[in-house]
Amino acid sequence: MTDLLTSPYPALLVGLPVLLATLSLFFRTRGKALVGLLGCLLTAGLAIVAFIEVAQHGTVIHILGGWEPPLGIMLRMDSLAAVFIGMTAVVGVFISLYAWQYFRADESGPGEFPLFWPLWLFLWAGLNGLFLSNDLFNLFVTIEVIGICAVALAVLSGKTTAMFAGLRYLLAAITGSMAYLFGVALIYGSTGTLDLGLLGQVLEPGTTTTFALLVITFGLMVKMAGFPFHFWLPPAHSAALAPVSALLSALVVKGAFYILLRLWMEVFGVSITYAAGQLIGLAGAIAVIWGSWQAFMQTSLKLIVAHSSVAQLGYLLMIFPLLILAPGVTADSADWLSPAWTAGIFQVIAHAFAKASFFLSAGLIIMALGHDRIESLRDLVGNMRITAMAIGLAGVSLIGLPPSGGFMAKWMLLKGIFLSGQWWWAPVVLAGSLLTAGYVFMLLRLAFAPAREMGTFKPVPKSLEIVALILALGSFLIVFPADYMIQFLESTGVFGSGIESIVEGGAYGND
Amino acid sequence: MSVLIDIILAILAIYLAFQSLLAKRLTQTVFIFFAFGLALALAWVRLGAIDVAITEAAIAAGFMGVLFLDALRDFSPRTSNNQEKTEAAKDIFSKKNTKSLLLPRVALVLGLVLFLLISLEAIWNIPDGGGLTVSVETMLPESGVEHPVTAVLLNFRAYDTWLEIGVILLGLLAIFATGGIKLYLKPDVPAQDILLRQVILFFTPILFLFGAFLLYIGKSGPGGAFQAGVLWAAIGILLHLGGKPVFSMIPRWLGQLLLTLGLGFFLLLGFILMAGGATLFEYPPAYAGVLILIVETLAAISIAAALTAIFANLNQMQEKPNDIESTT
Repeated sequence: MTDLLTSPYPALLVGLPVLLATLSLFFRTRGKALVGLLGCLLTAGLAIVAFIEVAQHGTVIHILGGWEPPLGIMLRMDSLAAVFIGMTAVVGVFISLYAWQYFRADESGPGEFPLFWPLWLFLWAGLNGLFLSNDLFNLFVTIEVIGICAVALAVLSGKTTAMFAGLRYLLAAITGSMAYLFGVALIYGSTGTLDLGLLGQVLEPGTTTTFALLVITFGLMVKMAGFPFHFWLPPAHSAALAPVSALLSALVVKGAFYILLRLWMEVFGVSITYAAGQLIGLAGAIAVIWGSWQAFMQTSLKLIVAHSSVAQLGYLLMIFPLLILAPGVTADSADWLSPAWTAGIFQVIAHAFAKASFFLSAGLIIMALGHDRIESLRDLVGNMRITAMAIGLAGVSLIGLPPSGGFMAKWMLLKGIFLSGQWWWAPVVLAGSLLTAGYVFMLLRLAFAPAREMGTFKPVPKSLEIVALILALGSFLIVFPADYMIQFLESTGVFGSGIESIVEGGAYGND
Repeated sequence: MSVLIDIILAILAIYLAFQSLLAKRLTQTVFIFFAFGLALALAWVRLGAIDVAITEAAIAAGFMGVLFLDALRDFSPRTSNNQEKTEAAKDIFSKKNTKSLLLPRVALVLGLVLFLLISLEAIWNIPDGGGLTVSVETMLPESGVEHPVTAVLLNFRAYDTWLEIGVILLGLLAIFATGGIKLYLKPDVPAQDILLRQVILFFTPILFLFGAFLLYIGKSGPGGAFQAGVLWAAIGILLHLGGKPVFSMIPRWLGQLLLTLGLGFFLLLGFILMAGGATLFEYPPAYAGVLILIVETLAAISIAAALTAIFANLNQMQEKPNDIESTT
């Protein structure tokens, strides 16, 4: 632990956005937006610098207060954290630019929501804090910060639908947090430490550990809208303002997934069985089918996009059964671990770009039409060609067609599935893609269809359309540095590792 | 004997929790909830966590109680508009009740019982003497304070506390964020009667001194910023009820300063010391005591300001939704 480089960046990545968020509170409407945007640019810049530092020196740490764990808290920026922080920075900065212009658009815009800026900066600090945290209780505090910010942002529009959805979101978020905290208390009580690294060494199998794992997993599944706890997501994400929908779907739900991944892989290895992995994979598989089917059945654009998030998050859960090895299989012989990890990480990043683009495009369509019922999307291509292109590209990535990041994720997932012999997941991946193609092509068919009446589209700022397009392109561009990224991820951290199940003869055999 | 007290307290807490859920009238619910908060506070005392007990009593029974009572006023059928709302709400609930809920209820109860049993089993298996008590005691002399809880909150795990102070501010921002909604109409109460004035005049200095005492004693005993902040918030709430809304009487920037002081100074101090080569929230042992006292005082002020503002804004929200944005 002590041979790792100490760096100020982890502390700054949490402190700086909070400082600017606090500062922005002193300003009035326009000033708040200006300080807020400045804060976003600075935070993104800092994240890139920190990413480069990790790329050059490997994992960096910051021991807060100078107190080493287990007494104190340590921030740890390894390659996995760096990738999540970098993704948040790149997607976040484009959403910020969009928001800046979106809230200023006088005509048919939603108006100004100055509170967006401090809330988003606090949210960003919370996300950075979560990715950097190496402490079970501190993770709880970060998910509290994120939860409050996310709910506040979700209700910001002040619409009644958003309020009701926001209340449900709040109750789900609190339930998730409380369950997580209960698990933390059990773990702290039985081990006397909260540091993830130390916990991974000292945790012993037993009822307490298993039960703690269960409630923590439940809490995080609620937070990341994993099936069957996804009910709060579609209303909350679809009723929010466009930039907020993008933030919530692209970034916020990934926070809970990140903790789940870390805790399963690094901490709770002793209690995780092969069957547990199959179960969580099953939840993911149902989410893929159910979410995609629901998205296919919706008639308003934002609800389609929101339900699609449920499905796309399902793919993330499907990597868990691949990462948990059946008894007798060692990590060295399991050649599917690397594809499975690659699938997970690329799914996270590709979905972040594509979904952000999709929601921002939906916001533009609402701006142009005043609503988002899909039958009015006729001749979208003639009226808003850039937005139509963004939706098309984002859709292609969500389906998983080459050469998008989504393709890379789904291809690697299939590769992992076949290498591991768990063939029963393969039809789910294919069916999910097919259903996704169903709703994406339905939208595109309408977009290319000739208009029935003219002049229903009001003009929207071109700069906003371009931001949405850039994000959609981003979900393709991430494929180019893929090799570098996998090497980087493998250089430090948990990437590429697996859990060797110690329980003999799990409920499901491996082939 | 003490085991008996514990058992009675545990049963009482669960009984009160159920009663507050099952009570027929909202007023009953709120008052039973007070009692539940106090029972929990007593439970914390029995567990030896005096700090948590004070916070529980102050926040859960005190501040939350005030908010609930305030909300209760909105439900009282004083205006016809409210009555309609209440009726509508009743309708919604009664419609749901007509469906058969027996099976889901039985399943829920069985699930809860199972959950409780497994929880007990899991808690039972926790070995004694765990935790970081020993290492906290060892490091205590270097922390600048004498009370282990304060040492953990303000020094060893200052980062968590700093984020939690942020959470309180975020709670306020979240309430601002909901500001556009107008659900109930509240009658404007001109609280100018003599009795209230006398109560405020009498309690303000006492609350202030008691808060300051709790803040200072936090160095060596149970107490600290959160407890002091709640007591000081009571001053703000009393003044508000007495027709002197603090945030309307001071300049806008001052209000914002009070709200952000705790979080901001905590962080800025950390950044300044970081510039000198320390890590974030690392205090030189020689000055740690003084710095922690300053940080705690400012945090208490901000917590008091945030809680007052939460109360004031919930109070104003119903009347002038447009003003709320401008106060942020």
